[in-house]
Amino acid sequence: MKFSDETLIAYLEGTVDDDQATAIEHAVEDDPELEARLMALDPFAPMVQAVFEKVPAEAPKVELPEPQPVESSQSSGGPWRLMAVAASVAVVAVSATFWTTRPEPLGWAQQAAIYQSLYVPDTIASLDNSEQALKMQFDLAEAELGRSLNRETLEALPGMELKRAQVLSFNGKPLVQVVFADEQGQPFAFCIIRQGEGAPSKDVNLAELSGLATATWSEGGYGYMLIGSNPQTPLEGQLDILTASFAS
Amino acid sequence: MNVKHTQVTIYSMVGAISSEQAVRGAIQTHSKRVWRFGLALSGASDVADDLLQSTCLRALERHHQVTSHDRLDSWLMTICRSIWLNEVRARSVRKAQALSVTPEAELISPEADSETNIFAAEVFTQVMHLPEAQRETVMLVFVEGYSYREAAAMLDVPIGTIMSRLSNARQKLKTVMQLSAADAVRRSGK
Repeated sequence: MKFSDETLIAYLEGTVDDDQATAIEHAVEDDPELEARLMALDPFAPMVQAVFEKVPAEAPKVELPEPQPVESSQSSGGPWRLMAVAASVAVVAVSATFWTTRPEPLGWAQQAAIYQSLYVPDTIASLDNSEQALKMQFDLAEAELGRSLNRETLEALPGMELKRAQVLSFNGKPLVQVVFADEQGQPFAFCIIRQGEGAPSKDVNLAELSGLATATWSEGGYGYMLIGSNPQTPLEGQLDILTASFAS
Repeated sequence: MNVKHTQVTIYSMVGAISSEQAVRGAIQTHSKRVWRFGLALSGASDVADDLLQSTCLRALERHHQVTSHDRLDSWLMTICRSIWLNEVRARSVRKAQALSVTPEAELISPEADSETNIFAAEVFTQVMHLPEAQRETVMLVFVEGYSYREAAAMLDVPIGTIMSRLSNARQKLKTVMQLSAADAVRRSGK
């Protein structure tokens, strides 16, 4: 069953009848996309979050015992997914680099750049980019985002080999990272985050973040970002194609 | 300093990051969130201090159980809640006589104009006066950004329960929002 945004907003405001409320709650059980739509439309969440994210104002103190010596043969938990490990390393790197010096929260683009800066050619060299793997990744990513990723355009980017699309999340918003290998095998990424209807559009902004050339822009409720593999990576060619392809 | 080089070095050390180091990193990264969740559960900042401390020690003791490093935040929240339910709640409730949550208005940082502050304090008070089940659900979904199904897994209830708790909470929060909207209209009409 398909629910319109109006119906979902009425549900969130408590103005639908009980039958319809039950129908929506039932449908969400098997439909993560509907769940994501509801969460994005909820006017209460940002209001409550804005109040509580400032509490506590200072990082609370925790007293921990001294670290134990590192065991040499850990990681018995089976083969870790590269992404999970890279993400946790990103967390460690972020906390080490920014925790003490940077109290205000990072935006999605900075976080994505930090994560991407951990990529090396080996990160993407062994990824399975078979048709079957890519189709599954794109289906999932498009469902989470609630829009097409224009896969044909991405596959046709000059000099780029499509390696993977993976679903991440930033502050509860779905964030998809599409990663490519350039002709030298260097990682190159295109990210999309769903910011929600009514998010302000922003013109292309070029910046160096975490030592990488980046371009970000926003349009039609989505934020977009290109991330090169070094501060000098030229982005113009891809930028022209993608801004045109993703224009709403 | 060559920042890129430093980060690549960290990356090449991936294999050496132990579960204990990952837990320590997660504690540092998520201590505010765990404290905030402890505050929402207990309604008192001194209890939140104790809950955070106990949660971190418990997590370190159990670092061997960690098999994946990517969901340590929800793992910490779950430990915090379990300590609250099993070890602290009965004591605190007895002490506070039925958990009459005293909203600690000084927790709202003094900034922006006073009307914004008054609104923030009202939202804070309303949330803290919700029944405990609604309060913890609101914190996980609205504040910490967990999805309904993630919150359902953390609180061990069906998704439908999460959604109906949020619906009930919204009905109570609505009053504050309507007042603030009326206020905004009144102010802009000046």
